[in-house]
Amino acid sequence: MKISRNRILVTVLAGIVLVLFFATVTGLFYYREMINKLGEVQEEVFTEYPRLYAYIAEDPESKLSNRLYEEISDYAINNGCYVEMTGQNLSTSYSKADRINIAISSKVDGIILEGDDSEETAELIEKAARNGIPVVTVLTDCVGSSRKSFIGLNNYSLGTEYGDELASIGEAKRKYPLSALILLDRDDGNADDIIHSAIKESVTGRNVRLSSAVVDSSTPFTSEESVMNILDDLDNIPDVIICLNDRTTESVYQCIVDKNLVGKTVILGYYDSETILRAIDRGSVYATFAVESNTIAAQCVNALNEYNDTGFVSEYFSSNYIKINRDNLSDYEPEGGSDEG
Amino acid sequence: MNLREAVMKANFFANMKISRKLVAVFLVTSVIAMGVNIFIYVNLNMALEKINQVFSSNISLNELSDNLNQIHSGLTGYLETKGTDDLELYYASTQNMDQLMNGLNNTVTDNNVKLSERDIRNMLETYLKTADEAIQAKRGRNIDEYTAKYNECSKIKDYLNTYIYSVNNEQFRTNSNNYNVLVNSLRYTEIMSMLIFAVASVMNVLLIIILTNTITRPLTRLSAKADEISQGSPENVEPLEVISDDEVGKVTRAFNEMLASIKDYIARIRTQLITQSEMKEKNLLMETHLKDAQLKYLQSQINPHFLFNTLNAGAQLAMMEGADRTVEYIRNMADFFRYNVKKSSETVKLSEEIELVDSYMYILNVRYSGEILFEKDIDEELLSVMVPSMIIQPLVENSIKYGIKDLEPGEGKVTLSVYREDKMCCIRVSDNGIGTDEEIIEKIMNHEKRPSETRGVGITNVMARLDLYYNNKEVFEMKSRKNEGTHVTIKIPLEDANV
Repeated sequence: MKISRNRILVTVLAGIVLVLFFATVTGLFYYREMINKLGEVQEEVFTEYPRLYAYIAEDPESKLSNRLYEEISDYAINNGCYVEMTGQNLSTSYSKADRINIAISSKVDGIILEGDDSEETAELIEKAARNGIPVVTVLTDCVGSSRKSFIGLNNYSLGTEYGDELASIGEAKRKYPLSALILLDRDDGNADDIIHSAIKESVTGRNVRLSSAVVDSSTPFTSEESVMNILDDLDNIPDVIICLNDRTTESVYQCIVDKNLVGKTVILGYYDSETILRAIDRGSVYATFAVESNTIAAQCVNALNEYNDTGFVSEYFSSNYIKINRDNLSDYEPEGGSDEG
Repeated sequence: MNLREAVMKANFFANMKISRKLVAVFLVTSVIAMGVNIFIYVNLNMALEKINQVFSSNISLNELSDNLNQIHSGLTGYLETKGTDDLELYYASTQNMDQLMNGLNNTVTDNNVKLSERDIRNMLETYLKTADEAIQAKRGRNIDEYTAKYNECSKIKDYLNTYIYSVNNEQFRTNSNNYNVLVNSLRYTEIMSMLIFAVASVMNVLLIIILTNTITRPLTRLSAKADEISQGSPENVEPLEVISDDEVGKVTRAFNEMLASIKDYIARIRTQLITQSEMKEKNLLMETHLKDAQLKYLQSQINPHFLFNTLNAGAQLAMMEGADRTVEYIRNMADFFRYNVKKSSETVKLSEEIELVDSYMYILNVRYSGEILFEKDIDEELLSVMVPSMIIQPLVENSIKYGIKDLEPGEGKVTLSVYREDKMCCIRVSDNGIGTDEEIIEKIMNHEKRPSETRGVGITNVMARLDLYYNNKEVFEMKSRKNEGTHVTIKIPLEDANV
């Protein structure tokens, strides 16, 4: 009896030892697996692309530029190349010229540039061309430079559209003559001039009195102050305020809310940010014009790819605007999703 | 048992020596503990190595930045003063830079850090190329060109430093994240390793318990058995089963043998004791009977010592008076009584017994004036056979008293024969008297007749003593026929008679 009890004890102990042994071995393997997993944390998954293009915006903070960059980036990834927004994620903000220089010295395969009429830019485009880097301009051209192509908005037709809208506002309000103020961007030069003259041309004989002012948008903070000053300086609030870029549109909207001018004036805006769309809903913004950013993005990437593949590319690609007002607001969905809070 | 042996042979561990068993136990547990330790140590080291590697990318970027600044100061110095040292510094740093640049990514990827690495690499190449051109221009003493190139270099250097700084920052952020993840995981691995270690330790303890148990269990059983034996009655203790073939197994075997021999010894002592007590009892009984015989003899022969001395005096008187027959008679009487006085010891020679019968017959014949015929037929070789004392005379006395007493004077005849028969010494006393009834013979042979019923030293007494002396062997025989006398034979086994 004693022996058998002893034997049972030994058997049970041996069983426990066996279980513990397997537990230890499993634990050791699990442990090793854990240690190996530690290393995997460092490894990042990334895709390689054969070509790198640089996107250089006029104002890297601009919502339009950012949205355009996103569109270009998405399209590029699906078409075998990668686009970086030069100067982004750096500890210093570089000027446009510096950013072009950086792109040239880092030997990208192409530059997508929001152009301007300055000589410096033209020279830099020249330098890029000397280094075998093709440059295409987008939204604004750089006339007289050696850029390979321009993917632009049809500013003339935009101006005509603004003119038509002014006329329809006049008819709706039965106010003759309708006073309208055009807020021009100081740095925008050529593009705004085209729009300005197209509007003028379009409203001729339609009982509209046009005036214009220039908004200082040299730094991110001056735009709002400048708009406020312009409105303060006016004797009479115009019936319509025409804004030719996104920041100005939002600044003017904020001003008329602050100055309690809602209902006394309406805005013809530019761009389709959420704030602007909300303002349309509330009636402060009569209509706004949005860029077909996905079309532009595709055109930019295709132009560079085409040049790199063949050595030739069409000099001009044109794209259109979309008009958004209360009538089509509910159907409209901003491209590239919401880009602000 | 065969199966058990087979199992024992198969059980390698059980058959090992105890010292080896102990060494094996400690070796096995130590090896397990050491193995687990080494495993954990190696893996922990691996993890630490990985953690160390986390910030290596930051370190290499810093090196890159330092080296770039050296190149630039070399370049600046050379362009300013055309100093050889500066040029050497420039070239040495350039060479070093080439190596450092090789570690940078060269492909276009969607990973910001990798892409920035690529930009840095390409910008460095542009920088080095431009710097080379500046040096060439310096050698060509083209001030405008090398100034322009130098300015270009300074710009690129500025961009590079910004890039390196930014990438460094970015990497530091991800590395710190990685570091945190690693450190957290390390904490888990610490807990895990503690768990594994604890489990292994418990396992070791259990292993030690099991293995030491297999060593000590037989010892415990052995000591329990020894206890059982020490508490008495070892003959009821069963032998131990031998489990192992080690020292304990050998001791167990020896213990079993010892137990068996103790049991055997005890059994032998017991039988010896029984035999001894039986012997003592017999001796005591013999003595009692002898004493009884002697008492009866003394009762019947009043004061034999006195009589014997008186008789000796009578014999001397008769000798002086010249009465030879009287002398003979008295001497025989004296011998007869002397024998009784002297022969108190148990065994005597057969010749002495016969002499006693002679004396007795002489006395009787004088008394009955030669009416009783006494014949002897003796095998001389048997005279020295040792027999219990006083066995023949009572038989002769019996024959005379009950056999021939009623015969006419001169007709009665008593014969004593001593002869050998089948390794037996036969002593036969026969008479030609009236014989004895069968009934009486049966009673005598069955010891039913009380000694008191016979007068004198009775036949029953002789029989009882013979029984005791010869261990109830059938040595006494009594035959009789009506008017043809009685024959009493004592058969003494010669091997018992100490010839």
